[in-house]
Formats: sequence, C-alpha cells, structure tokens
Amino acid sequence: MLRTSNYSLVISLQFLLLVYDLFVNSFSELLRTAPVIQLVLFIIQDIAILFNIIIIFLMFFNTFVFQAGLVNLLFHKFKGTIVLSAAYLVLSIAFHVWVMNLRWKNATHFVWTDGLQALFVFQRLVAMLYCYFYKRTALHLGDPRFYQDSLWLRKEFAQVHS
Amino acid sequence: METPQQGARQCPPRALPPVPSSFILHLTDEIPLSRPKRKKPKGKNALEGIVHAAVRRPSESSEPLTPEVQDAPPQRKRKKKRMPPESETSFTQQNVPNTSFFHTGNGMDPQPSEETVIRKHRKKTKKTRPAEIRCSNELGVEEEDIIEDEQTKSPDQQLVFAAPTGASQPVSKVFVEKNRHFQAADRTELVKTTENIDVFLDVKALWTTRDVALSVHRGFRVIGLFTHGFLAGYAVWNIIVIYILAGNKLSTLSNLLEQYKALAYPAQSFLYLLLAISTVSAFDRVDLAKASVAVRGFLTLDPAAIASFLYFVALILSLSQQMTSDRINLYTPPSENGSLWTAGAEEQILQPWIVVNLVVALLVGLSWLFLSYRPELDHSEELMFHAEVEEFPQLDKGLTVQS
Repeated sequence: MLRTSNYSLVISLQFLLLVYDLFVNSFSELLRTAPVIQLVLFIIQDIAILFNIIIIFLMFFNTFVFQAGLVNLLFHKFKGTIVLSAAYLVLSIAFHVWVMNLRWKNATHFVWTDGLQALFVFQRLVAMLYCYFYKRTALHLGDPRFYQDSLWLRKEFAQVHS
Repeated sequence: METPQQGARQCPPRALPPVPSSFILHLTDEIPLSRPKRKKPKGKNALEGIVHAAVRRPSESSEPLTPEVQDAPPQRKRKKKRMPPESETSFTQQNVPNTSFFHTGNGMDPQPSEETVIRKHRKKTKKTRPAEIRCSNELGVEEEDIIEDEQTKSPDQQLVFAAPTGASQPVSKVFVEKNRHFQAADRTELVKTTENIDVFLDVKALWTTRDVALSVHRGFRVIGLFTHGFLAGYAVWNIIVIYILAGNKLSTLSNLLEQYKALAYPAQSFLYLLLAISTVSAFDRVDLAKASVAVRGFLTLDPAAIASFLYFVALILSLSQQMTSDRINLYTPPSENGSLWTAGAEEQILQPWIVVNLVVALLVGLSWLFLSYRPELDHSEELMFHAEVEEFPQLDKGLTVQS
C-alpha cells in the first residue's frame, strides 16, 4: 500500500520537474546570452523528462494491478501518458540538438528556418500535452484502489489465467 | 513490582500517581532533593522516635522521586526492594506533613488502616493493565485517588493520627521522569499534549493518497482559474500596446519595431507560459484524456470544451509566431549591415503578426468568459476521483473483446 508521505514526496518531485520543464520551455530563448547556459538548461531538461518517465514507471510497478500481472490493463489505461512522454523526450532532444548546433557559434544569430519552426511548434505543443497527461496520471495513481485487491481485479486475473 | 526504570521504558515519560499538594510542597520546598533521608537526626524523646518511625516509611517511599535514586549505593537499593509494595504508592494517608503528627501524639499504632490497604491492593491490580492505557490514564484524576474524610477516620487512625486531616486532592502538578530525573509538570498541559498527539495521529491516518491527489488537483485548478483571467488581461494589454505603437493604420511600424523589440521575446515567452498553464487547466476541466467525455463535451457545447479548443488554437497560433518574434527581437534598422529587415518589408511581416496577436487576444478573452461563466465546472474531478468503480469493469470488457 502506498503511504501518504511517500506519495506526497513523489508528487512534489514530479511537479518540481514539470515546473522546471515548463520554465525552460518558456524562458530558454531569453537565456541565450551564452550557448553554454542554454546547453546546460537543455541537458537538465532532458534529464528531468527522463527522470519523470522513470518515476511514473516506478509508480506503475508499485501498483497492485501491476504486481498481480495485469500489465496490459495498466498500460492500456495510461497509454496516452506513456506515448506522449516518449514522444516528448524524442522531440525535445531533437529540437535541442538542432538549436544548439545552429547557435553554438553565435548565440544571438537568427537561426530560424521553416523546419526548425515546425519542430519548435510540435515540441512545445507536445510539451503542453505531456504536462497535462503526466499530471493527470500522477494524480490518478494516488487512488488507493490501484494498491489493493478488488473484485474486478480478481475477475480479470481469473480470465487471464483461464 | 515495577521499578521506575521499567516504567520509563514502557511509557516514557512516566508520571507518578497524584500527590497531595501539601506533600509536594513538603518535598520540593522543605527538603532538599539531594539529602539522604537516612541521615535525618533521630528525635530526642520517645514520642519523636515513634513519629519518626511512622514518618520514615512514607519518606522512603518518596525516594524514587528524588534524583539520587539512580546513584544510590547498592545496599539501599536492596533495602528498597524488600520494602512492602504499599510503601511505594502510599501518598494519601501516610504522607501527611510532619507537623500534623506533633499535634496528635496520643496514639502509638503506626499501622495503616484497613481501608488504605484495600485501596492499595486495588491500585496494585490496576497497575497490571497494559502500559499504553495506563500511560494516558495516569495523567487524569481518578476517583479512587481522592479519599473522602469518612474513609480516613477509622477508630485506630483517630487514635494515632487524629488530624491526618486534609482529604487527598488532585493537584495541578505531576512528576514526570525526564532525563533520569523527575520534574514537576503541569497536569493540564500534559493531558492537553497527549490529546493533541492523539488528534494529530487520527488526522494523519485519515489523510489518504487520494486526498493528497485531490488537494493537488484542486490547487492546480485555483492556479488555472487565476491564470485564465491573467492571460486574458495580459493578451488584451499586449494587443493594445502593439496597436498604439503601430499608429493609425499601421503608419509607424518602424516606431513599433524600435520600441517593441525589447519586449517582443519576453512577451512571447510569457504568453507561452500562461497559455500552457491555461490550456492544461482547461483540459483538466473537460477531462480530455477520456475521449468519449471530451467528444460529448464538444458536441453539447460544454463551456469547458469550447474553452479548451480555443486555448489550443491560441497556443498553436502563438507558437507559430516564434520566428517573427525573434526577428523583431533582433531588429536593427534596414540601413545597417547584416540587418534582417529590408526597407519596406516591415508591413508584410508585421501585419500577419499583429493579426495573429489580435486573434490570440480574442480567443483567450473568449475562453476566459466561457470558463468564468461556470468556474466550478470540473469533469476530471468527477470522473477521476468519484466514478472509478464503474469505470474498471467497462475497461476490462473492452480489453477482453480486443484480445
């Protein structure tokens, strides 16, 4: 059973990482006086996304549903979050690599092309969706029903094993 | 028999049984705590000797109260162990002040009365209860601890101790063992603190992970509600500033570029931040993750669904102007070398940008109106935290059909 204090701590950590992600997405363009600053911000952002994905998977593993062997059920329920998190990580890394590659020599140089603009729009849109789905999943996993036995879970388990 | 050390181990801090106020006064004020009771000078006459014999027991029984008990020599400890069990808890009858004996020196029987013995036995049986229960009960005043006058005035007693006088009364002080020493503490405060701890533990036990999630969700909804209004105001202010700087019929675009270039990128970044929070909040209200609920919301023209759509469009439009914003941010007059701007091309670039900003302002303003119409509307909370039981079996059926 998930303890309230542990859950509060995990939720705080997840929200901290999400807030950092939102902050970098919003203001990284303003902090480009030196390319190194942006590089560090981007690296930390990508690590934060990775950490968040690891944390949400650890939370999945901690549920009774998962431990009962119903992995498919859990993944089906939260597939939006899993897909969006993975997509966002890929898009972020791609955008960061592209932008840093263009700005490494001159940080205040005008680097925008149509392709970069399109990637930028996608990355920022998916960031918003990721934020929404991730927050929703993290809060949803606080439901005690994921951490205890129930009738529907027993039925499902019996169906899987029959 | 329970030693003070054992008692401390069971339920620290251990409080001693209630003591008459006169006795406490006697202990704390008159006799220094470090003085050994054995070394008291014996009385000169026979009466004094008898009285002293009668008094010594209670005073010995009070030895655990003194800080010296831990450091006392081993012989004394052995002696104490041999003492009758009554002597340790007999505060009520025998522990009268010394002065009272001098007033009533007409009897020689130092035996305690039968009633007192019975009461002590009762107390002893009470001590066998579990430590946890006793720990909290000891702080309170029990009726058994208060001895009425009728009980005390047995014939034998009257002969020896005619004026043991004062009925045992509950006092406000209790002695609590702290750091291997007994210290006087206020009874009411101790009771209060234990009650507070109980209440705190109860609240902690009731506070589940679901409550944490719900409070975080509601907290974010409040932040979102604030952000909706702030974003609407900010977008309107932004477009007003742009139109004022652009002049009548966009006649002073170079002025706009000169003035607004320092503001363009921060404004764009801030707009993204507010739009992202507002969109997430609007999605929360319509519960976009459940496609069926979201589609139903759109079809029934649910205010939250409409607002979500408008915010999403506004976000895309705003993001699409990132390139132009950077171009404005890096503005230098066209006459300068390496300028991104060519003479006469300002209007071509700026007009769509101004229109998009105007549309964004209108969209976020409308969304705010829709959401503020029913600020308490939140489908996520209803579905995530209140309707989970029905949801699981449906999901299971869907899964089995798929497989």
